[in-house]
Amino acid sequence: MQERKVNNIVCRCEEVTEQEIRDAIRKFNLTTVDEVKRLTRAGMGLCQGRTCGSLMEKILSEEINKKVSELLPLKKRPPVRPIKIKLLAKKERESE
Amino acid sequence: MNKTADVTVVGGGVIGCSIAYYLAKKGADVIVVEKNKGPSFGASGTNQGACPLQLFEPPVLELARQSLKLYKNLSEEIGYDIEYDNVGALVCSVDEKQYSDMKKHVEKKKKQGINVRLIEREELLKLEPTLGENVVVGVEEWESCGVNPFKVNYGFACAARRLGARFLFSTEVGKIEKDKDKVTSVATDKGKIITNFLVNAAGAWSPQIGKMLGLVIPVKPRRGQIIVTEPTPLNKRWRCISDADYLLTTAFDLKATEVSKDKRIKLGVAGVYLQESTGNWTIGSSRDFADYNTNVTMQTIRYIAKRAIKFIPKLKDVSCIRTFAGLRPFCYVDGLPILSKVDNPQNFVIATGHAGEGITLAPITGKLISELIVENKTSLPIDAFSFSRFKNAYLQNLG
Repeated sequence: MQERKVNNIVCRCEEVTEQEIRDAIRKFNLTTVDEVKRLTRAGMGLCQGRTCGSLMEKILSEEINKKVSELLPLKKRPPVRPIKIKLLAKKERESE
Repeated sequence: MNKTADVTVVGGGVIGCSIAYYLAKKGADVIVVEKNKGPSFGASGTNQGACPLQLFEPPVLELARQSLKLYKNLSEEIGYDIEYDNVGALVCSVDEKQYSDMKKHVEKKKKQGINVRLIEREELLKLEPTLGENVVVGVEEWESCGVNPFKVNYGFACAARRLGARFLFSTEVGKIEKDKDKVTSVATDKGKIITNFLVNAAGAWSPQIGKMLGLVIPVKPRRGQIIVTEPTPLNKRWRCISDADYLLTTAFDLKATEVSKDKRIKLGVAGVYLQESTGNWTIGSSRDFADYNTNVTMQTIRYIAKRAIKFIPKLKDVSCIRTFAGLRPFCYVDGLPILSKVDNPQNFVIATGHAGEGITLAPITGKLISELIVENKTSLPIDAFSFSRFKNAYLQNLG
């Protein structure tokens, strides 16, 4: 692969660089985006990978020579957007 | 081609990887078989990483104590930062009626040799301004720690690999072959492994492995749900705060939680509020049985959120960024782990049933199981965790 600058920020929330992601994939033989997330914190911030997820997939697919479509997708969990704890704590219906 | 190993470990979670590491350290040739694509796809990757010593009771307490000692130098030992965080633990009550119980808790813990201190309301609020007006009394202790559970799991796996252990991911056990009273080989979808020992560290899935040998391992998946928040400024003194009700819902007292009229207790909601060094909070947790379902439920999340605000009111204006749930291997006979050989097959070893305590107990479990296999004796007594303790329970069930 062509040598290039890899200190680009991939995850803006947690400030994780492309190099950190590539290093982690190589060091731990990672094969899933979830693992990249767990070991680098990329995708663990406010946006939960909604911005950087596809970049992480692309980097991983390059590193392990697989198509993006062959990768296990990043596990999605609620909430869809950040939500205040006090709203989570609120009763949905009066009957409850 | 067939592979051969001294020990085959089923399960690449924190327990399986710890066992692999301590075995490899003793020179054993180990293969770890994991059906997922990597480590931490079960309970090891869906927890808070809190190890609050004062919440443990004998006989597990001694395991926890020794495990915490191993954690202290683990980063150095395995050459990888597991983010050991000396957060201590504060158990806190928001219920006037629990005051005398908390006093008893302190006396009991002192007798157990844990350096606890009872702190009255005024001092609590002064030392930790994020605590709410509702708090009644607290008990602190500083032997407890937090760790990054992913890093513990990967750290053990990498250290084991450096010592020669092999890992087969995306590999499922199909059949276990026996000759008389010994396991001879394990058939997987990636080929056969001829092995001298077989370890079942498959966590919530360990009953399925037992079943292949005709053994009933009395473990079922218990679901725990957790909320993750955005970062906030670090707490002044305590970053691991437990609800005193925790003792009520985690102890083996399913009856008490079942008959309770309080919906929250019924759902097993009692929190450990852990602020990571990054400032993020993980707010746990709950205990319910939903087979292998790892979804979160709105009702439980609501009770967890509501309860958290009682302890730490400022959390109400903090954003939840994620929720998740994990499956704890829960022994439904007595709630204790199973760390044991069995009579038949005699080279089959069980290491499961850690329930919500797998992270705390991972290092000591690996150490003890490696001793059990290599030396046939352990440096701590593990009779209380023997598989043979279930014989009577079975007979009762049958009768």
